[in-house]
Amino acid sequence: MSNSINRLKPRVIVCLDVANGRVVKGVNFKGLKDMGDPVELALRYQQQGADEIVFLDIKATRENRSNALQTVTEVAKNLSIPFTVGGGLNSYKDVSDFLNAGADKVALNSAAVNNPDLINQISLGFGSQSLVVAVDLDKKINGDYKVFINGGHKETDLEPFRWLTEIQQRGAGEVLLTAMHKDGTGTGFDNDLMQKISRQLSIQVIASGGAAIPEHFVDTFNAGSDAALAAGMFHRGEFSVEQVKQELLKNNIEVRVC
Amino acid sequence: MKKVAVIDTKAGNLFSIFSCVRRIGFEPELIQSAEQISQKEFVAMIIPGQGRFGTVMSNLRSSQLDKVIIDWYQSDKKIIGICVGMQIFFEWSAEDLDNDGLGIRGLGLVKGTVTKLKSPKQPMVGWCEIDASISLLQQKTVYFVNSYAVKSSENEIATTYYGEQFVAAIQSKGLMAFQFHPEKSGSQGEEILQQCLTQ
Repeated sequence: MSNSINRLKPRVIVCLDVANGRVVKGVNFKGLKDMGDPVELALRYQQQGADEIVFLDIKATRENRSNALQTVTEVAKNLSIPFTVGGGLNSYKDVSDFLNAGADKVALNSAAVNNPDLINQISLGFGSQSLVVAVDLDKKINGDYKVFINGGHKETDLEPFRWLTEIQQRGAGEVLLTAMHKDGTGTGFDNDLMQKISRQLSIQVIASGGAAIPEHFVDTFNAGSDAALAAGMFHRGEFSVEQVKQELLKNNIEVRVC
Repeated sequence: MKKVAVIDTKAGNLFSIFSCVRRIGFEPELIQSAEQISQKEFVAMIIPGQGRFGTVMSNLRSSQLDKVIIDWYQSDKKIIGICVGMQIFFEWSAEDLDNDGLGIRGLGLVKGTVTKLKSPKQPMVGWCEIDASISLLQQKTVYFVNSYAVKSSENEIATTYYGEQFVAAIQSKGLMAFQFHPEKSGSQGEEILQQCLTQ
């Protein structure tokens, strides 16, 4: 019935930073600006055609855990597209709590580096489809890439390309690959990196860091990224998800329109 | 409000399907035993799409809900199966092996088998447009999450392609089942579920 052309569409993902149950935006490292209610904002992006939403709890602490779980449940009740929750998940119990609260997937970052067995345990317990491992890479002046943890504050001595393969072997379902050197620059994704990794891995690669205009999505999908994530360009109201998708369609990249 | 029986497969979080059923104007009720289903009037039964094939089948057998599903199906009542909840209607699946090293048996109500999908990336996660023979599913782009699939079936009403062609939806008697997740497929998915429950 179907012709032999892969139908899986590249995904446009919107990332929302959450703190204490509100979507926030960092202003010059200190104050956090309140951007609104997570459910309302997520629904707005769903309406615009976002294929997925990622919530990052940037002030995740044990103390406000129940608060965060409540937010996840509210989102799950209202959203009809998949969403991922990340930030401060350190144990199997944390992951289990968030999935039971209604998250479709969880994203692990530092915890995966500190305790790689956690990847295997989650994959076995909940299935690889429920686990995204986030990897933050920074490109050094000499061109080498380094893996960072703790929100980009701590450099590790992991060999990046070996670590990415290990994540896949241990059972991650997808990798969220952030190029820290591109983050906030507005110069587009690190497409050499995305191309290399998406060819190297048999799990999907979500490109992150650097997007500012719809053309950046065209470039990264042409380079081979399976999905691409952005935050600021959408939150600042510069572009809608719909505009990004129109640009992709104009460039013959088949994305979902709703 | 019209009630929908959601079978408890004890294999994952049923939050999404419950929320979706409520959003489209029905009242979901979790069914954990055969007695429970005979006590009320349900417009349809849903087999949710969470968990591994082997886990779902063994949980259904131990709760004897497998018989409830078979009875419901044989009496031509409306059933909606989602993902693994579609796969269990087939003869067997290669996702898990039994003690003899063979695939796990399903309910065997529909001919065919579930095998590993030879997809470019695994697991398959994301949105695909489907080719459908019924108008309800035509020109729909829906959300898939799977590594296993049925490659072809006499009962297929929709297919799609990722590495190879596979069945996206089947229909048999009162059963309408999807390899994709309508509860995660945006407004198009809600429309599909609502139509299924209303028709």
